[in-house]
Amino acid sequence: MAEPLIRMTNIRKSYGRVQALVDANFHVNEKEIVGLLGDNGAGKSTLIKVLSGAVPLTSGDIFIRGKKVTLRSTSDAIAHGIETIYQDSALVTQLSIARNLFLGREPIKPPRFLNRMDQEAMNAVARDLLREVGITKNIPPTTPIGSLSGGERQAVAIARAMHFDSDLIILDEPTNNLGVAETQGVLSFVRSARDSGHSCIFIAHNIHHVFQVVDRIVVMRRGKVVADDIDPKKTTVAEVERVITGMSDKEIRDAISDGPQRHG
Amino acid sequence: MENRSYIQRLIARPEFGPLVLLIVELVVFWGINPDFLSPQNISNILAFTVELGLIALAMTLLMTSGEFDLSVGSLFGFSPVLMWTLYNSGVTSLEMGLLIALIVAALIGLVNGWFVTQLKIPSFLVTLGMLLVVRGTALFITDGFPQRTWSAEGSWLANILVGDFYVGPFRIYASLFWFIGAAIALGYVLTQSRTGNWIQAAGGNPNAARARGVNVNRVKVGLFILSAVMASLAGVISSLRTSAANPNSGTGYELEVIAMVVIGGTALTGGRGTIIGTVLGILILRVMRNGIVLIGVPGLAYNIFIGAIILGMMALHSWLERRHQAGT
Repeated sequence: MAEPLIRMTNIRKSYGRVQALVDANFHVNEKEIVGLLGDNGAGKSTLIKVLSGAVPLTSGDIFIRGKKVTLRSTSDAIAHGIETIYQDSALVTQLSIARNLFLGREPIKPPRFLNRMDQEAMNAVARDLLREVGITKNIPPTTPIGSLSGGERQAVAIARAMHFDSDLIILDEPTNNLGVAETQGVLSFVRSARDSGHSCIFIAHNIHHVFQVVDRIVVMRRGKVVADDIDPKKTTVAEVERVITGMSDKEIRDAISDGPQRHG
Repeated sequence: MENRSYIQRLIARPEFGPLVLLIVELVVFWGINPDFLSPQNISNILAFTVELGLIALAMTLLMTSGEFDLSVGSLFGFSPVLMWTLYNSGVTSLEMGLLIALIVAALIGLVNGWFVTQLKIPSFLVTLGMLLVVRGTALFITDGFPQRTWSAEGSWLANILVGDFYVGPFRIYASLFWFIGAAIALGYVLTQSRTGNWIQAAGGNPNAARARGVNVNRVKVGLFILSAVMASLAGVISSLRTSAANPNSGTGYELEVIAMVVIGGTALTGGRGTIIGTVLGILILRVMRNGIVLIGVPGLAYNIFIGAIILGMMALHSWLERRHQAGT
């Protein structure tokens, strides 16, 4: 069997006495969208932070295409082709679309000592990328990010990851606070990313959104991966919810009828 | 969005409000007292404008990166005191004294930047502490008295920094060219260069900038050094022009400089800055200071007008920002 794009084995992460990850094993294949699900505190955010270089792991190994890597910072992760897109923190609202796309990797016009950005080239690439991720509205690349909708901002972040050939794009709650049309837009951007050869990890509280877009579902509970090969085409939302909570149907019904006292 | 007319886009620019205010000031002061636009008065306004202006230009970049520097006024007083103390005591030449004063200022900027970026202390507190240290040092080494009088006439250093000449009836100081050069250079850095993109990102969303590999700390430390060196240079230019080095000079300049920058449209919270706006902000405050005296308003009432201008311009910028965010 082919080596997966990303393989994390026996990942442990502790914060003092709290074990956030306990021997977690996780993988993502090439050109695959993986839905990562779990209740609050299940460990999915910590797993993503470890993979994006935001927090160091306590023990365990990370392999990219079979080669062991050490991710000490987000820059390290980006250099290894792993891009994480957070809902609100990925972009600079005051900067234009083009300047955000190239932030940190701005093309320079000769002579280099003048350190002058090639803004025409940046705008041209930005225009093409916006079309590629499916933004049909005519938005100039000089538009500040602050005047875009939430869905359009996600599209810009996805476009940036695609342009810089990130092998893996991690989307953390990309559909939070978005309307129905915008959510569908973001899901279509994610599909575009996969179709152009990128792998994605999709984290969302709304399981219905996950079902619409992912190829495989992975579930975490109490710091461990408890299911890693759920095919969304062969299962139901209710079944996945049972795996997430670790409860039987009857226990879930009881919990719902008891209201928020037990699980609020 | 592309269909917005040229006029609408012009009005939405942060520099538009300050430009209108400056024109109104010029018209009102000239209308009340025609001497306001006399060559002698214009020459006077320009001479001092340049010195505070140099500090405001550097402060624009620093504030765009989300920080500010309260120690600039004390450096404005300290650097000439240090330079002339070294010169008067025969330790160094005047030129070497200037070089040492600039290096000391750069080190002070480096310390400010280190405290802010490494110890994560807000720049307000760090630079307030540095203000007291620097001002205290200037007072201590001079016993609180101005340096003894001297003349730098004939020195090539004085000629290139503050040498003056007449263009028709206007008396122009060389420092005006330093100011224009600095405005063009820093305007270029902020709007055209890669460093400018990093400065705006560092102020707008430092976490996003770091995630893209931008060394936010290095950017900020560099700007603290720039701010300190420009304040030092402005102080030396002022002392050469007035032939005086008073350890108390520059008191209160930090707030006036910050006012110039925010009136011009640079965001106090960082992420957005404009050098053209700052040049307008500098002119607005200097013209106001000069104009109200010429039309007979007591000089002590100056701060009332400045406060009102700051409040009015903040309201205007806030309104423009909300319109901008709403995409209208």
